[in-house]
Amino acid sequence: MMTNQLMQVPAPAISARRQARRDLVAAFPWLLPALTLIVTIVLFPAGYLVWTSTRDVSPVGVDRGSAGFDNYVTLFDSPALGRVLLNTAIWVVGVVVVTLLVSMALAQFLDKAFPGRRLVRLAVIVPWAASVVMTSTVFYYGLDPFYGVMNQFLVDFGILNTGFGFTRQPVPAFLVAMGVAVFVSLPFTTYTILAGLQMVPREVVEAASVDGAGSVRTYWSVIFPVLRPAIAVAVLINIINVFNSLPILRTLTGSIPGYDADTTTTLIFKYIQQDRQVETASALSVVNFVIVLAVIGIYLRVVRPMRDE
Amino acid sequence: MKRFVRSWAAVAVAGLTLTGCGFGGDDGQSGGGRTLSFLVPSYSDGTKALWEGIIADFEAAHPDINVELEIQSWDNINDVVRTKVQSNAAPDILNIDAFSGFAADDLLYSADEMVSANTVADFQQSFADNASIDGTMYGLPLIASARTMFYNIELFERAGVAAPPKTWDQLLDAAKKVAGLGDGVYGYGMPLGSEEAQGETSIWTFGNGGSWTNGSTIAVNTPANLEAVTFMKRMIDEKATQPDPGASDRTPMLDVFIQGKIGMVVALPPTVGQIAEKNPSLTYASAPIPTKDGQPMTLGVADHLMAFKNKGDKQEAVKTFLDYVFSAPVYTKFVDTEGFLPTTKSGAAALAGKKEIASFLEVLPNARFYPSTNPQWATTQGAMQSLMGQIGQGKEPGAVLDEIQAKANG
Repeated sequence: MMTNQLMQVPAPAISARRQARRDLVAAFPWLLPALTLIVTIVLFPAGYLVWTSTRDVSPVGVDRGSAGFDNYVTLFDSPALGRVLLNTAIWVVGVVVVTLLVSMALAQFLDKAFPGRRLVRLAVIVPWAASVVMTSTVFYYGLDPFYGVMNQFLVDFGILNTGFGFTRQPVPAFLVAMGVAVFVSLPFTTYTILAGLQMVPREVVEAASVDGAGSVRTYWSVIFPVLRPAIAVAVLINIINVFNSLPILRTLTGSIPGYDADTTTTLIFKYIQQDRQVETASALSVVNFVIVLAVIGIYLRVVRPMRDE
Repeated sequence: MKRFVRSWAAVAVAGLTLTGCGFGGDDGQSGGGRTLSFLVPSYSDGTKALWEGIIADFEAAHPDINVELEIQSWDNINDVVRTKVQSNAAPDILNIDAFSGFAADDLLYSADEMVSANTVADFQQSFADNASIDGTMYGLPLIASARTMFYNIELFERAGVAAPPKTWDQLLDAAKKVAGLGDGVYGYGMPLGSEEAQGETSIWTFGNGGSWTNGSTIAVNTPANLEAVTFMKRMIDEKATQPDPGASDRTPMLDVFIQGKIGMVVALPPTVGQIAEKNPSLTYASAPIPTKDGQPMTLGVADHLMAFKNKGDKQEAVKTFLDYVFSAPVYTKFVDTEGFLPTTKSGAAALAGKKEIASFLEVLPNARFYPSTNPQWATTQGAMQSLMGQIGQGKEPGAVLDEIQAKANG
């Protein structure tokens, strides 16, 4: 057998494979810390989550045994789920698209040399430096109909007669939350695109203008292709980030009754904290994870942002 | 580029799972039978120092017992307990509102296993009954709270309301008169946001002779409850309340009352201290809560101490500590400092002369409680908190009550 194989397979291939295996064994001790980290903070919790989603856990946390797929049945029986999924889609698509468009414009602006550019660039970072909960809380109290400064401002300028409960009804509160989400997503996205813009060679842009291309043509044919990887990174991270975003919605819409202003992520927390159903929350977390993987998969498949031009 | 995608997928996994579940450590198990873990919620900024003082005095008298205090906010304590129970690290002694879920899973000592007979006998009967399931007492009522209606005397005079209302019709009338003053002044403060929707709703349903149980099962959509909730919606629709009551939490709404912008609110003992601190010039008085026919009623709430049957022989140490906590001088100081009502006979006698709580002690005999001994109550309460406010957003009372019932049934 051994000789046979040796005769069929060219010798260099075997030694290369052996070499690779030997390298792997040699590298293993060095990989161990990283592997341990991945197993303990990624794989184990993920596995535990899936496990919990198939258990019957009492409201106070006692595991009463296997529940099969009952938790998933409970979840999909929930009359609120349809609206929540729709909200989630509106939330992710709306926030990511608006953030991207505003960031592209903002990055273009910040790429131009003008007096005080340094200061403006710094100002764009500020929303990122503040904690999201803090920013949301500022908006929540600012928009309070009884004593909020933003409401007072609108009343003083005659735009409103009395304070309006922006954060007291599902639809306006959800829109306010989307606005805040765009606001806090701008710094990262803008800077990612700005970094991409700095990679556009000046000569190419000059060459385009010498060839008589207008600014729109130059942007789409010369600058945008170079920006593609940067935009791809920005969109991917934003999708994941916005999809899993909890603090903004919790702060701004948390006191609103019912589920009309919830996304799947806030619904997970309502299952845990108000309904005391850790197992249903786990099931929804698993579904949430599958959705985010699917969305990213579809994005990569359809948009092909990583395609090399 | 594939590597890039893969690494972000890994980040996504990490993000999802880290928010999805938490793991409690194995604390509370170390130190043998003489170390007691004690988990309490924070009632006020002074709670931590108050417990620390009590524990220091106790440890000085009992050097062989060590009490480890852990304080959590009310927002977190339910999650913390659940995580600890799930990872087999339940605290030895816990202070929280409801105990029935733990009792249903057979995790708790009964009262006569955790305190002496004298301490058990000292609890006022109504509180002892409220802490018992099928005749066995599992919770030790630590503090009580009752509600009365606070009203703004100055707004009443300006609106021409002569006396505090006793019935619902008088309440609606008085609230509309106060709201008629305009200028950002509202008639009746109705907090149906997620903080206290179950409390506000119970005040109305109990005030109509309603109840949340039908013997042993949770019954939400009953005729008496429906009538009460329908009247609440009428208050909202006729603009007798503040705007958007469905999304108003109690704490910020009481602040608006303290600022003098609301005619009437149902408030609780610590509110007296908050008014004295934040706006001492407010002219207000308190009166019994208006009910449908004027019969006196108040919502009584009790928080409990309970002890978990943990490994290791800690029962004697638990007993020694809890008997100390409920001894008259220690207990009276605790209740007095936190501004709540006592649940023991000796405590009530000691605090009888305190005028801040006099009006509350007066209504206490007519107290109605949440059905907190029903294991389904925790879920029902959560559903009320998240769903009841919808009546303030245009949804029909019957539909909302049915929705809550469905959640309660699981």
